[in-house]
Amino acid sequence: MRRYDYHDGAANMQYNLKYKISPLYNRGTWSSIIKRLWGRLWGGNAPDPYLALLASAIGLLMAVPVLYVIWRSLFAGAERWTRLLDTRIPALMQNTLSITVATTLLSIVLGVSLAWLVYRCDLPGRHLWQWVLAIPLVIPPYVGAVAYIMLLGPTGWVRDLLGAAPVDIYSFGGVLFVLLMFKFPYVFLICGAALKRMNSSYEDTARSVGMGTWEMFWKVNFPFLRLAIGAGAILTSLCVLSEFGVIALMRYNTFTSAIYYQMESYDNISATVLSFPLIALTLLFLWLEFLSRKKQKFYQTTNNFRKTETIKLGRWKPLAFFWVGSVFLLSVLLPLSVLVYWSVFGLAGGALDSSFWGYALNSIKVAGLATLMSMLLALPVVYLKSRYPSLLSAVISKISSSGYALPGVIVALGIIFLFNQYIPWLYNTFFLVAVAYLVRFFPQTLQYGEASLNLISPRIDEAARSLGYPSRKVLFRVIIPLLRPGLLAGGALVFVSSLKELPATLLLRPPGFDTLAVRVWVEASEAVYHLAAPAALLIVLVSILPLKLMLSKY
Amino acid sequence: MGFLKIFLPLIFLLILSLTGGCAGDEAEENSGSSGVDGGTGVSGELVVYSSRNENFVEPLLQKFQDETGINVRALHAGGAALNRIKEEGHNVQADIFISNDIGGLEHLRLEGFLQGYNFPGIETIESRYRAEDNSWFALSARTRVLMFNKDLITEGEMPGTVWELTDPRWKDQFAITRGGNSGMIGHVSALINEWGEEKTTTWIAHIKGNAGAIMQGHGDIRRSVGAGEFKFGLVNNYYFHQQLREPQDNNVGVVYPDQGEGEMGAVINAAGVGFVKGAPHPENAKKFLEWILLPENQREFSYASLEVPINPSIEAVGEAARITDYSIQGMPLRELGDVWEDTRKFIEQSGLDLEIR
Repeated sequence: MRRYDYHDGAANMQYNLKYKISPLYNRGTWSSIIKRLWGRLWGGNAPDPYLALLASAIGLLMAVPVLYVIWRSLFAGAERWTRLLDTRIPALMQNTLSITVATTLLSIVLGVSLAWLVYRCDLPGRHLWQWVLAIPLVIPPYVGAVAYIMLLGPTGWVRDLLGAAPVDIYSFGGVLFVLLMFKFPYVFLICGAALKRMNSSYEDTARSVGMGTWEMFWKVNFPFLRLAIGAGAILTSLCVLSEFGVIALMRYNTFTSAIYYQMESYDNISATVLSFPLIALTLLFLWLEFLSRKKQKFYQTTNNFRKTETIKLGRWKPLAFFWVGSVFLLSVLLPLSVLVYWSVFGLAGGALDSSFWGYALNSIKVAGLATLMSMLLALPVVYLKSRYPSLLSAVISKISSSGYALPGVIVALGIIFLFNQYIPWLYNTFFLVAVAYLVRFFPQTLQYGEASLNLISPRIDEAARSLGYPSRKVLFRVIIPLLRPGLLAGGALVFVSSLKELPATLLLRPPGFDTLAVRVWVEASEAVYHLAAPAALLIVLVSILPLKLMLSKY
Repeated sequence: MGFLKIFLPLIFLLILSLTGGCAGDEAEENSGSSGVDGGTGVSGELVVYSSRNENFVEPLLQKFQDETGINVRALHAGGAALNRIKEEGHNVQADIFISNDIGGLEHLRLEGFLQGYNFPGIETIESRYRAEDNSWFALSARTRVLMFNKDLITEGEMPGTVWELTDPRWKDQFAITRGGNSGMIGHVSALINEWGEEKTTTWIAHIKGNAGAIMQGHGDIRRSVGAGEFKFGLVNNYYFHQQLREPQDNNVGVVYPDQGEGEMGAVINAAGVGFVKGAPHPENAKKFLEWILLPENQREFSYASLEVPINPSIEAVGEAARITDYSIQGMPLRELGDVWEDTRKFIEQSGLDLEIR
């Protein structure tokens, strides 16, 4: 397959604009010029214009809510900006940055140490730990927060046992702890994957010059892991930036929760102003990650790949086991036990009544609609990007992902604006919730779709076409069936993510349309734990299903 | 064929969910037509926005649905309900607004978001507790009180006025709600009315620093005071009644502040119901308003929250002090509507509106 350089395409176009178009007098050649330009843009491999148009429209659709929020914030007025800059923004910035940085740093410590022990050392049950320690990732953090409030909160179990609450869970430390417990697997999984891929030749060399295990870790493994740590850290920090449930339930305040409260008081314009610094922070983090990736390059020769040796823990084994075991206890076993306990209570009290199943049905309905839309809309974007690589298709794919990195509250804000103003007949229907899920989680289908389409050689398309199939038929008879596993995998992730989503659901749900996530939120904030627990547990159980899929990603 | 296998069920699901959405629309249209006919069986639906605690309102709405067959779709949106009605002015969604405070209702009326209606039964509500055009009326009253944990503090040691909360000796010992809470907005409005802006600004600045916690809602406060997290908290009186009924953590007492000679008296507020202008289901809304004025439903409305009924002929909950038992700050409740926006901005400038800790 030929490879095309995107930048060349763009340069050619500029060249064309400058020197070729201006001296045109003959109108009849316009169409041929455009055709040629179009061809150059794609480096001679131009797709059906309709396909390009469709994909562009989809990309734009995904970006519109966020762009609209930015646009509106520019018209918020100097008075509002100065007021918020003077009063609100500095404190929020400090709150947001401190919790983000603290969570990220600690999850690097936790994640790297666990990955090292589990993937490199002779820890008992190491293969089991590899996926068991990923479970916290599929427990929605707000569910974890609810569990810890049930346990350590002012009316929690521990207080009933000891007579007084031992720690103040509603504190910076409490928020940090809960976030850490449910976000560390990002670093853990990514670093684990990197350790698995590491060639032992580095370590052999290090050993040959007489380095010990500890020195080798800092001088050889750690630099090698920096890339993985960076990727894990960026994911963690973006998650913390957009986290709403934990922050609000535990009475902390960051930009995300402040935007939510601002929208609750329906001062949407102020909410757009508060969104601005949050978007800027998100972009800054993404840019930092981009920089770190650019600077670092590692070369591994693949033809002499040998697995690294397993390190003997020796007398450290009990301690290491204790460390890994306590993390598992605190991040999986304990919260789930609390939920099971309260669920049993709830079940005995008849929590699984018809309204519970009504909420569950609503959840499935709206998550299913989002999944379906994401799978259908992913097709053209994925196809364009993988079969017609060019600057344009790369841009479309990037734009489609804009809702993913940004917090759900901002997406919801944009959707409320757009629908209330321009599409009022759909406003206040559950369709809005589904659109929010779609914008938020579309990139998950994109990623998987792209991955599986890249495995299918374009020769297959060509072969089908050479047999006389029109391109539409090629799509339905050849591409889609081959793409199916990827699309379904991506769809499954969208479904689960949608089921767990909280802030956008809270803000966009129409009257009388509560989902399981909303009920967990409502009952937990009213401290009706026996009603919150069954819904929370159900969400966790469904979320665990695609765990295997997520593991294969890292 | 593989394509069909996967996508047919999905498309089926899509159609199913869309028709589900359309069924709602049909119901809407039905209700419109049956309303015009004044027909026999009432059908269709009623959209209720409520800023009250869901648990207070939901049983009542269920009762209405059971008795009339009108399908109630409720949005329990807390403080957002009022602003949402304003935001949706050109695209009205709600028929009925159940408000936790009078200020919000009168504010909506002044801004032109409510419509008047003369319905039977309205005379049971004293005229100072309803709008001039009857577009809203209050049903249950409450008082701003200091609820305390008897294990931690005695009634004698408690502060007797809300001004005393600024005293450094109470630092970190009490809880308040964030300033965006409508109960707090009503309270601050009364304080501005009594003290003027300058003194109120000082008060806010001090209690903001003094409070041990600034919470999302009053429910959080009553639970944390009951659990002994704080000695006392500034709540509405019915939160005290609710805490008394908890199976545990219920050793709590109450102080009605500012009751001394020459002091301003306790600040009251009330919850009520408003009729949204341009309501998509006006006939059902009228039905609801008439229904809720029936004595048993008025009773239900205030009992669910353990508030005091506005209608004196309806007996109050056992442990509640009657509205005539203590002195009350002088500002008429209706005036809250006038100053609502100003107070909100005032609180926002003080920085108390969003802060939670």
